[in-house]
Amino acid sequence: MSYMSLFDVPTPARELAGKAAIVGLGETDFHRDYQAARAKTEGYEPPTAEGLAATAFERALADSGLEKSDIDGISVSFLYGGPDAASMAASLGLTPRYLNDRGGGICAGPIPVACGAIAEGKCDTVALIFSVATRSIGRKFGGQKFDSDAPSSYYYHHPWGWSSQAAHWAMIWQHYQQVYGASEADLGSVAVQIRHNATLNPNAVMQKPLTIEDYLASRYVVKPLHLFDLCLVNDGAVCLIVRRADLARDLPHTPVSVEGWGRASVTRDKMRTLVVDRMRPQYQEAGRQALDMAGVALADVRHFEGYDASTIHLIDHVEGHGFVDPGAGLEFCKGGGMAIDGALPVNTGGGILSGTYMHGWNHVAEIVRQLRHEAGARQVDGVDVSMFSLAQTDQVHPIIFRRGER
Amino acid sequence: MVQKRPDRTLGPGHDTFWNGCDRGELRLQRCTGCGTYAWPVVQKCEQCAADDLEFQTVSGRGKVVSWCSFVQDYYRGILPVPYDTIMVELEEGPMFLSNPHEFGENEIAFGMPVEVAFIACEDSAGRFQLPVFRKAKV
Ligand SMILES: [Zn+2]
Repeated sequence: MSYMSLFDVPTPARELAGKAAIVGLGETDFHRDYQAARAKTEGYEPPTAEGLAATAFERALADSGLEKSDIDGISVSFLYGGPDAASMAASLGLTPRYLNDRGGGICAGPIPVACGAIAEGKCDTVALIFSVATRSIGRKFGGQKFDSDAPSSYYYHHPWGWSSQAAHWAMIWQHYQQVYGASEADLGSVAVQIRHNATLNPNAVMQKPLTIEDYLASRYVVKPLHLFDLCLVNDGAVCLIVRRADLARDLPHTPVSVEGWGRASVTRDKMRTLVVDRMRPQYQEAGRQALDMAGVALADVRHFEGYDASTIHLIDHVEGHGFVDPGAGLEFCKGGGMAIDGALPVNTGGGILSGTYMHGWNHVAEIVRQLRHEAGARQVDGVDVSMFSLAQTDQVHPIIFRRGER
Repeated sequence: MVQKRPDRTLGPGHDTFWNGCDRGELRLQRCTGCGTYAWPVVQKCEQCAADDLEFQTVSGRGKVVSWCSFVQDYYRGILPVPYDTIMVELEEGPMFLSNPHEFGENEIAFGMPVEVAFIACEDSAGRFQLPVFRKAKV
């Protein structure tokens, strides 16, 4: 599924840097809702994507200190179905002049698109809403029935039994082990670290500490990949309120400025690029675009949120952007480099491995909390620049955020 | 013995590939302009964007660059788990995802030479020959 072809991300440009900031954040109760969905006690009503979206919006609005009349733009991303932007706006009591239905799903598109709309004067304040009732609709990942229009190269290999996102990460991980001599316990350190971060986040789905022994004893899904190498599936919604920078200052929270973005796609030889190159050329290219636009160096990034569909994929991000050399990511993690107090705190809210499966929106939500300096027990000391990196199996989309001024 | 398999992708281009397999030939698209081989089936050359592609029979030789073993049953029993898949770098360049033939996960080694073999299979569209890879004869 190619999310990003659904809309046009503005070309990264210095003059678009810092033109808008996140001023409001709302999330649903990921931990509580997950527990309720699993318990399925009598009278349990599974959530709808629309209902979750409304909750996240109301919370984001309250968080921002704005009124509904201040919201003049709306962008909706219902990954697996939901109302269009106009219907959602009507049900929330909004009368926006800017509507975007083509939010896709993952947030690396909608955020730059909203910033572009604000810079063009189409609106001043956009509510970006993402919502999924993934678990409640019983969506399964992998297998023959993938809801793609055309046979993607990744889902071409059915006659050989090759399917699922997990299989990609398994192939990458096997190759990584062969090239760098890494062990399963090395990769387990990533799952353990991210779970530890989740235990410091009261709204993370997973709260129970994970040990290396738990990891090694867990079942294989696609060997050599264990259950704990793969992300969660849960329901929820996130709403971000993005506002014109000069209007973002006199509000309850420190604004989180959107400073730069980038985009690079794999255009040829996808399996080689994914498994052998581990998309390093794409990480490098997209990262450079985002850093150049923001006017910051990689070394200025003090906190990193990477799309952790699997543990090895997270290491691909960290190595691919150049925070450490290729092959050095697992030793970096084992040495505490990715911990809250490490050289590069990574996925401090638990990511999608242990936090909540909000397709990258949760990573940005965590950046908002970190840059506001409101992340509680997992606050990265003095952080002022964070990098978000979204990557699927064939594209990379980083965004650079900076702590704003009030 | 005919093995049941999940469905192939069929249609223009794809059919040429599978018809080749039925004759015991591994045929892949090659760009007449720049000579780049493509797999899976493409509409345009990924290297130079030309759309003049012709199917050519390749050597069927390559080496294993990665592998994984499916433990979770994604195909609801069509293919009994666990089963192994390998990524083969063909001599002509493309990466080909397939299954090891007459050897298992514990015998797979990084870089091991393999060659194509064909096994009788069946999907919902009928019988076909599936290209798999066995250890190369030295
Ligand atoms: Zn060509």
